[in-house]
Amino acid sequence: MDVVIRAAAAYAFIIFILRITGRRELSSLGPSDLVLLVVMGDLVQNGITQSDDSVTGIFLAVSTLALLTMATAYVTFKSRRAQLVIEGAPLILVQDGKPIEQNLRTERLKVDDVQEEARGQGIESLDEIKWCVLETSGSMSFIKKSG
Amino acid sequence: MASAPEGLTLETSRDRQKWWQSPWIRRVLLIVPAAIALAGLLNQFGQRPETLVASAAPAKLTVVAPTRGRSGLIYAARFRIDATQDLKDARLVMDGGWADGYTVNGEAPQPLGEGSANGQLTFDLGHVPAGEQHTFWLSLQINPTTIGTHRQNVSLYDGKTLLAVVHHSIRIFP
Repeated sequence: MDVVIRAAAAYAFIIFILRITGRRELSSLGPSDLVLLVVMGDLVQNGITQSDDSVTGIFLAVSTLALLTMATAYVTFKSRRAQLVIEGAPLILVQDGKPIEQNLRTERLKVDDVQEEARGQGIESLDEIKWCVLETSGSMSFIKKSG
Repeated sequence: MASAPEGLTLETSRDRQKWWQSPWIRRVLLIVPAAIALAGLLNQFGQRPETLVASAAPAKLTVVAPTRGRSGLIYAARFRIDATQDLKDARLVMDGGWADGYTVNGEAPQPLGEGSANGQLTFDLGHVPAGEQHTFWLSLQINPTTIGTHRQNVSLYDGKTLLAVVHHSIRIFP
């Protein structure tokens, strides 16, 4: 019983933490982002299973997390409001080649970060971009100006 | 005026005009992890030991043990007897809370005798001459599934005579 409760508590807490720390941590892999994402996994494992090394413990923890993931996906699929609360809304970072500073600041992103992503998608200059959208997954989508 | 890409609205995705998009909401929610970390620094979740003392004419009993802890933690509790008079048969009697939900990893020095009395643990320490002190350590691990408050009073006896009682309890967080 404890493993199930601990796994559920850990899941809710991680979703909460990732939601409030911002999307930057989801996609970028700077040193501090690595600390949060990689080390967190190890720390959480200790808290969920503690000294339980049994196969049953694995089944309980994994089943609980899988079920909660499915439940979250179902809730966000059925309810737009729940989706906005749990996942947030896509954020426009660049419009017609002009960075939107306030939105970049909200996600602690610099124009350099957007330019880096753009180069990765074969875009030479922000002037070529009509829209740059930071998706809820943390990835950036670019829509180029036509012509 | 350009319209947003299909599926997005400028109001939500560019201007962040919805009340739940206020940066203040995130700032306020960030108080939660900050408060958890601060509470940890302030020993709200253990396991910094505290010193509790009970004195009587023949002896003083000092217990050094945490009053807050977390399941799975390992620690040692220290029990010190300062005898001002000769104690012929010093005996520590501890509440069951010292063992219930715990794993007792060890005792040092090994007591002369151990027993159980009405759900309590008894440790016979033997003769403690006047002016001397006797220290007894108990190495413990809180079991991973243990939570809640445990009463852990400790009584010092000389034979069957109660000399001093230290009132101690521990609050165990999950």
